Amino acid sequence: MDRNFEYMFYGFTVAWLIVMVYVISIALRERRLRDELDRVKRMVEDQEREAKK
Amino acid sequence: MNFLRGTLAVAAKDLRSEIRSKESINASLAFALVILLLFSFAFDPTSDQVREIAGGLLWLVFAFAGTLILNRSFARELVNDCLDALLASPISGAQLFLGKAIANFVILIAVEALAMPVFTIFYNVRWTGSIALMVAVILLGTWGLTVIGTLFSAMTVNLRLRELMLPMLVYPMMIPALMGAIQLSTLLVAGEPVGADNQIWFRLLVAFDVIFSLLALALVETVLVG
Amino acid sequence: MRTKIIVLLSVLAGGLLAWNLHTILLRVPDEASQGAIFRVFYFHFPCAVTSFTLFFVAMFSGLLYLRKQDLRYDAAAAAINEVAFTFALITLITGMIWGRIIWGIWWAWDPRITSYFICLLMYFGYFMMRRAVDEPHRRARLSAVLSILASVDIVIVWKSIEWFRTQHPGPVLEMRGGGGMAPGMEAPLFWNVLVFLMLETALVLVRMRQQSIQSEIESLRRYAHAF
Repeated sequence: MDRNFEYMFYGFTVAWLIVMVYVISIALRERRLRDELDRVKRMVEDQEREAKK
Repeated sequence: MNFLRGTLAVAAKDLRSEIRSKESINASLAFALVILLLFSFAFDPTSDQVREIAGGLLWLVFAFAGTLILNRSFARELVNDCLDALLASPISGAQLFLGKAIANFVILIAVEALAMPVFTIFYNVRWTGSIALMVAVILLGTWGLTVIGTLFSAMTVNLRLRELMLPMLVYPMMIPALMGAIQLSTLLVAGEPVGADNQIWFRLLVAFDVIFSLLALALVETVLVG
Repeated sequence: MRTKIIVLLSVLAGGLLAWNLHTILLRVPDEASQGAIFRVFYFHFPCAVTSFTLFFVAMFSGLLYLRKQDLRYDAAAAAINEVAFTFALITLITGMIWGRIIWGIWWAWDPRITSYFICLLMYFGYFMMRRAVDEPHRRARLSAVLSILASVDIVIVWKSIEWFRTQHPGPVLEMRGGGGMAPGMEAPLFWNVLVFLMLETALVLVRMRQQSIQSEIESLRRYAHAF
């Protein structure tokens, strides 16, 4: 029975580990996307300003 | 009737082209022979053991060698924009697909027919079962492989990594057909009668063929246009 | 608005999960023959059921794209498939851990585990294909078709492997007319299904929002290049 407890915790741990990894990868992707969005927006603004000159 | 005529025209074109160049058949047959050879190193081909896995062996060879043929099916039209020409012609996507599928089927059966004697010799197989049933299994199983392979050839024709992607996509899809064919082939090679509880494999093969043929015909237009 | 939904779902899921964990870990007695490892089932089963359902939901989303040519359906389908894939992976691994204890083997080649493995392979191909196509509508079309084929195939694969001898425990839940679990033990199972459903919906919504950011970036780039 004790051995089974051990494996039960392995099971739980693995399951939630995968969920955590997935959630963290989503969060990282979110940050990267927002940075890129800001960068591209700034680039477009610069180009618009150039074009107006 | 027009549908049939268009389909057969495409099939005839592909077959004619293949008979003249013989590229696919040669490559596929050579590959089949090489696999049969490699398998002989993987285990000791004494006759007892082989009887148990003969079915599996045969269909793995057919599946791997077949994918070579099926992969090229739509890819060969990329040269000189032939694919665009075909899509622009009055032939519908379904006719194009069915024609190519029929041509592939004939070529694959030819390769299998040539590989079977070699298989029999290499592994000392004695065909004690019903030949007619074996032929039926081969026809049904090969059609299943052909339908899936031709459809995925159409899907991946313009993809960057076509050669890498096609096997990855195709083999999992073929599994039910392969399973049914393998089960039945193993039984027939061993000379056992196909009992009532094994009828289900025949039904599986037929169902698989019907379902995926219909699905392919319905979806191929979506896949090709654009 | 969407952010509020995501937060609400996550909080609800989290709260329900905490309450459920309390029940699962402390109140439910050990199962007669399996001992504590049985509790992994409380996660394995919800993951299996929800991920399986999500694959079919994604298929319908793909079909809707084919009907209406609206790329948002494709974005939804991709997000749903991604989340379903992750939870199918969890299903497989928790199942393997359970199997290791109960049957002594990591892998049993029985219908359900094999079908799920095949499912993972097919959807891995799905994601690979999405990465190989750049044009959005073409990618959406191919994805929808692949999704339809995979979903139909997974049903056939399942049924066909079932006709092999199976080592997977027979139906245990009451509604399937099987052995039946003791009444007190069933409830957390269904609550956990709800938990995972909410969690997965939240994740899908997050992914979808990221995809709309992605397409906004792409269109801005195209606009910038037009100068």
